[in-house]
Amino acid sequence: MKLSVVQADAIQELGNIGAAHAATTLSQMLGSPVEMSVPSIKVVDIANLGTVMGEESAAMVAFELQGEIQHGGFILFYITRESAVRLTNTMLGLTEMNRPMNEMDESALIEVGNIMVSAFLDATAELLGFIMLPSPPALTIDMAHAAMESLITQMAVEVDDVLLFSTELVCEEHKIDSDIIMMPEHSTLVHIIELLENMMKGA
Amino acid sequence: MTDAASQGRQNDKTLMIGIGEYRVGSQPMMTIGLGSCIGLTLYDSRLKIGAMVHIMLPESAGRTDRPGKYADTAIPLLLKELGALGCKNRSLVAKMAGGASMFEYFGTNLNIGERNAEKVKVLLKEYQITLASEEIGGKVGRSVTFLPAQGGSVTIRRADGTTNEI
Repeated sequence: MKLSVVQADAIQELGNIGAAHAATTLSQMLGSPVEMSVPSIKVVDIANLGTVMGEESAAMVAFELQGEIQHGGFILFYITRESAVRLTNTMLGLTEMNRPMNEMDESALIEVGNIMVSAFLDATAELLGFIMLPSPPALTIDMAHAAMESLITQMAVEVDDVLLFSTELVCEEHKIDSDIIMMPEHSTLVHIIELLENMMKGA
Repeated sequence: MTDAASQGRQNDKTLMIGIGEYRVGSQPMMTIGLGSCIGLTLYDSRLKIGAMVHIMLPESAGRTDRPGKYADTAIPLLLKELGALGCKNRSLVAKMAGGASMFEYFGTNLNIGERNAEKVKVLLKEYQITLASEEIGGKVGRSVTFLPAQGGSVTIRRADGTTNEI
């Protein structure tokens, strides 16, 4: 799985647009500004997944990509456990950092993930004219590597490497650091690139 | 990793084992963040050597390029490499961890953790390897450390920092 410079640029632009919409929704929910990074695109061999995601404790709200495609891969809202507590504290009006996460936290995280990922996919659908819808969300708060490997194992086509396409969203005021990560199936990626290339030709 | 010169020598450098990878020898070995995958260790107490693998799927379906990735290719390979170092199947003791279900939803590969664990058990039985202990299933990620030079101890660590030996 190798992308040309032009393809990588096109995907990055797509991510910019998706993440900008997601950042706006997060900013609205928090009532403070949210900065986003330049989207990063990495092809990671599964044996080296540990270099990207390790033993750190994180919350992940994962969605399968559906819609015009059946099993299109996954998109997830990733947030370290510490940031997750800050996020739900901000939303629920709490201050205690040293506390176990409960059902209220879980519902809040799922809701935030749902809103952000929906905004991301709405924006990309508008741009591409290709509708990807999120499945119902699934949440886990545990070792990042363990969650990610479980998703990779559930991809429709077995893989030795995955393309991780991620954008970091940071809220300085509340010290919240999160990412939106897309892990498309190979066929989804090929289709998205085709659409982007056609758009560029038409432009 | 079957380098005879490294045998018996205490080497503190821990070998990290990624998804689908395996190691054989006496050095400390570690695999991090097992979700639905299985961390399997085989240990020979007489020779104080062993093997560890991070298995992702039960069946290779004919694929041979990453033998450590599948239960049905990983186990015979480990036995062959351990055999070359003088281990007999009947003197090997197995331990395993992982096979969790991290997400409750999603549908293309149902209960893969459980299927991984079942396949490993069937194969161990087939090769007459004793399964000494296991910690399988649940909704929890696990890292596993294996110390062949120190009695083959297998320690599990979870995201909340708790540890235990199996």
